[in-house]
Amino acid sequence: MSRPTVAFFELASCEGCQLQVANLGEELLAILDRIDLVEFRELLTERPDGPLDIAFVEGSVVNAECEARLHAIRQRSELLIAYGSCATIGGVNAMANGRPISEIQAEVYGDQAERFAAARVRPLHQLVPVDYFIHGCPIYPDELIKVLKAALAHLPYNIPDYAVCVECLLNENVCMYEKKVTCLGPVTRAGCNAWCINNGNVCYGCRGLVSNPNRAGAEAVLSRYHLDSRLIANKMLMYNGALEPTDE
Amino acid sequence: MSGVLLYKSELCGLIHFLVADQTVIAPVPLTHGQFKFAAVTTLEEIALDAIPTLLPPKKYFLPPQESLLQYDTTQGEKMQAEVAIEETVLFGLHTCDLAGIQCLDMVFADRPKDLHYMIRKQHFTLIGLECNDYCDSSANCAMLFNHLPKGGYDLFLTDLGDYYFVDINTHKGDLLVEKSGLFVPVTPAAQDNLQKLRQIKTKRFKSEIPIRYQDIKPLFEASFESNVWTDIGAKCLACGNCTNACPTCYCFDIVDEPEFDLTRGKRLRIWDSCQHENFARIAGGENFRKERGDRQRHRYNRKFHYPMERYKQIFCTGCGRCSRTCMARIDLKETFNALIEECR
Repeated sequence: MSRPTVAFFELASCEGCQLQVANLGEELLAILDRIDLVEFRELLTERPDGPLDIAFVEGSVVNAECEARLHAIRQRSELLIAYGSCATIGGVNAMANGRPISEIQAEVYGDQAERFAAARVRPLHQLVPVDYFIHGCPIYPDELIKVLKAALAHLPYNIPDYAVCVECLLNENVCMYEKKVTCLGPVTRAGCNAWCINNGNVCYGCRGLVSNPNRAGAEAVLSRYHLDSRLIANKMLMYNGALEPTDE
Repeated sequence: MSGVLLYKSELCGLIHFLVADQTVIAPVPLTHGQFKFAAVTTLEEIALDAIPTLLPPKKYFLPPQESLLQYDTTQGEKMQAEVAIEETVLFGLHTCDLAGIQCLDMVFADRPKDLHYMIRKQHFTLIGLECNDYCDSSANCAMLFNHLPKGGYDLFLTDLGDYYFVDINTHKGDLLVEKSGLFVPVTPAAQDNLQKLRQIKTKRFKSEIPIRYQDIKPLFEASFESNVWTDIGAKCLACGNCTNACPTCYCFDIVDEPEFDLTRGKRLRIWDSCQHENFARIAGGENFRKERGDRQRHRYNRKFHYPMERYKQIFCTGCGRCSRTCMARIDLKETFNALIEECR
C-alpha cells in the first residue's frame, strides 16, 4: 500500500497541538510507517508545495493572511482535518470576538495597531469544508490516532455527542460540584476521557458544547449551587467565543 | 445451604487468604463520602461502611470497554473471539448490588446467550455484606425487598457484633470456607442474633414509596403520557450518569478499532446510554426519542415496566445511584411520588 502524503499546518495558535503529536512517543513510529510526512514545522525544515492526501490544520483564522493560507491548503489537499480547539471552535483566540476589534488592536499594539490587520476569529469550518474534527486544547492523543485511522481508511469518525460527565463517571471521579467547584463538564462534549478532571483540574469546555445542550436545565443546576450563570457564560467564552448558531 | 461464623479478628486473615491467588475487589473510600470498587490487598484499604459506590460492580462483568474479538482481513474474514478474565473475588457486595448482578445474569443468559459475559462471570467469587441500616436517604431498597439477601452470592456476611454470620450459598463458597480454615460452626446464640437483627431491620426498613410491588407496573402503564416526563425532561442534562451508574443498565454499542495497517483490529463493546441525544437516532436522521423527557420515561420503563413483562422482575435494585449521581436532582422517589399523585 502506498503511503499517503500528510502535512501539518498552523494558523493562529500556540502550536501546542503539533507538540502533542511530536510527543506521541512510540505511537509516532507506527504512524510514520503508514504515512509520508512532508511538512511539520515543529519537526521538519522542508516546505514542499505539492498535492497532499491529508492536511492537518491547527489554529484559527484571524486575518486575511490566515484565510488565504487556509484556502490554499484546502485546494492542495484531498482531506482536511481541523485539529485543536483554535481550528475546530475558535478556541482562546475567539475571546477577542467579545469586543470591538479596533479596541483590542489598540490595547495590544498601541499606536502600531494599523500595521496588524485583524478580523473576527473563526474556526476553519466557517470558511472551508472540513472532513474531520479533533477537538481539544490540546488535542487528546488517543483521539488523534482514532481520527487518523478513520481518515486513512476513509471511514467517518463519530465525535462523542454526550457530556464529559459520562467519561468522568467512568473514571469514578468525585463530581467537581460535590467539591463546590465549577466545572463545564455537564455541557461540554466528551472524547477526552475527562483528561483534566482525572488530573485534579476542572473542565474548561475546550471541546465545545454538546449539540442541543439543555441551557435552562444547566442554569437550574448552577443556581442550586449558588453559581451565577454569567460566571459560567464567561468561562464558556474562554473557548467558545466563535460559536455561530449554525455550529450547534 | 448452611451457615458458619467468622470472628472479626479473622477478617484480616480472610482477605490475606483471598489475595494469595486471586484479585480481590472491594469498596474503597474516595473523598466527599464517596466510594468505588477497586483492587485491594489488605483489610485496611476496604471501606466496610461504604454507601453504594459511584459505579456498580457491573463494571467488572460488563467492562465499560471490552474487546470481543480480533479480526484479520488478510486472512479472509478470520476472527478470533477473546474474553479477558482473571480469577476475581468481589468482596462487600450489598444486597442491592447482588440483586443487580442477578438481573444482569438473567439478561445475558437469555437468548441469544452472551458468552463473553457468561464465561467471565464463572471466574468471579461473590461475597456479600448485609446492610444493618440504611446507607442514606436516596436508597429505595425496601420497596423492592432488596434490603434482605435473596441469593446471588457464594458467601454472605452479616455483622452481628463480634462476628459475622456467614451464609454459604454455593459449592464455591463451601470450598472457600473449608480451605481457609478461618470459619467456625454456628452457635444457637448466633442463630438467635441473626433472627433478632432481621426483626430490627423490618422496623428500620419501610417501603420508601407508598406503593405495592404489584402496583408498580400498572402505574407506569397508566402514566405513559404523564406531564411528569415533560417536567423531568426540562431538568435533564442528558449526561447519562443515571444509566452508567445503574447496576442493571447494560445497553452497549459495538465499534471496530483497526490497527494502523487497517487490516487487523479489535471489535470493541462499549457502554452506551439511552439518555444520549443520538441513542435512538437512526438512518435518515430520524430520532424516535428526541426529547429528553421521552428518554427519561424510557429509562424508568426499562426498570419498572418492560422487564416485568419479559422477566417478571423489576430491574431497579433500590441502590439509589441514579438519584445520587444526578446533577439535575432527578430523584427516583420524587418521580414515583409525582406519578402516584397524578394517577390518584
